[in-house]
Amino acid sequence: MQYLAINFPPISEVLNWKPIFGGGTAIAFNKVGVITLLATVITLALFWMAGRQKKLVPVGVQNFVEWSVEFIDNSIIRDAMGPEGRSWGPYLTALFFFIFIANVFEVIPFFQMPATARMAVPAPLAIAVWVTFVVLGVKKQGFRYFKDAVVPPGVPVYVLFILVPIEILSTFFVRPFALAIRLFGNMLAGHLLLLTFTVLSEALFIKSIGLIILPLPFAMLTALTGYEIFVSALQAFIFTTLTAVYLGESLHGSH
Amino acid sequence: MTPVILAAAESSNPILPSVPEIIWSVISFALLVVLLAKWAYPPVKGMMQARTAKIQGDIDSAENARTEAERVLGEYREQLAEARREATRIIEEARKTAEVLRRDLLAKAEEEAADLRARNDEALAFERERVAVELRAEMAKLAVDIAERVIRTEIDRRAADALVQQFLAEIGASQS
Repeated sequence: MQYLAINFPPISEVLNWKPIFGGGTAIAFNKVGVITLLATVITLALFWMAGRQKKLVPVGVQNFVEWSVEFIDNSIIRDAMGPEGRSWGPYLTALFFFIFIANVFEVIPFFQMPATARMAVPAPLAIAVWVTFVVLGVKKQGFRYFKDAVVPPGVPVYVLFILVPIEILSTFFVRPFALAIRLFGNMLAGHLLLLTFTVLSEALFIKSIGLIILPLPFAMLTALTGYEIFVSALQAFIFTTLTAVYLGESLHGSH
Repeated sequence: MTPVILAAAESSNPILPSVPEIIWSVISFALLVVLLAKWAYPPVKGMMQARTAKIQGDIDSAENARTEAERVLGEYREQLAEARREATRIIEEARKTAEVLRRDLLAKAEEEAADLRARNDEALAFERERVAVELRAEMAKLAVDIAERVIRTEIDRRAADALVQQFLAEIGASQS
């Protein structure tokens, strides 16, 4: 069965990119760095183009950017944070665009790598969110924030012995981990899925065997590419929404 | 496959983050948050708010104009109804005046007619009296005349009869 001996690269090979410069140092700049910087540059460019047009009736880029801002304002901030959350628009917009663009590089030719599939991208974002919601909570509600967050009201005292440790864990430890790992896991899985079908299609094509079944992995690859664009947006939406929910609790108290 | 081995040696665990990547992603994200919040986001948001305000203002002014138009329409309708009521009132008044006038005229005419009739009757009675007096005098005179003539004729006829008898006797004698 040497025809089917497909050379599937080891996972550490497909995720480690050679540094473009600064190899071996702490600022080694590789593909992931290119993508995160591009996410920043593209977001800023979109907003710059949209803000420069200043048309009463928006078209093109302005329309897209305004629609996104409107969506984040109405579907994320207003629902999760209420009217006081309005000042968090830029932060949450930055999160959404950064994550979405870093994700969607998964299907962009020549990059084909979601930066968020490297723990180095979701982890700092999750930590930033964690720091933000804790600091905001203390700033808005003082020590009461911690009490509200870990002691649900109307619970018998003896239950609190179990509940308080659980709440401490879930609010201050599980949240950032869940944020980071959800995004990382989804994007890594999508990346590996696309990689698998690419390798399969390529192997079948090169070995010129199984031309009958060649369309199947290729069709799957095409479908999954579309699906991964959807997942990119969905994960950005989930991450941003959860951030808004946590910030909303810090603003108003969780119960 | 040397590069693969090298890369694998650098970070063998694909789940743990690598330090250089953390540094670049933190730099990118921090840059994005700061620049977006300070420089790129406000114009877009401001424009959207301006548009919202403009649309709201347009809707409000349209609403105001509609309310105003409805108010004016109501005013005109009220005025029209008032004018109609006024016209009806004037017509009614004119009709009443005419009626009063008609009755007055009628009464006056009747009065005049009665007056005239009374005067006629008086004149007629006076005339009749006068005629009666005249007639009586005439009749007396006529009676006397007639009586005179009758008497005269009576006498004449007796003489005539004697002559006739005389003549007849002469006629009879001559023939015998």
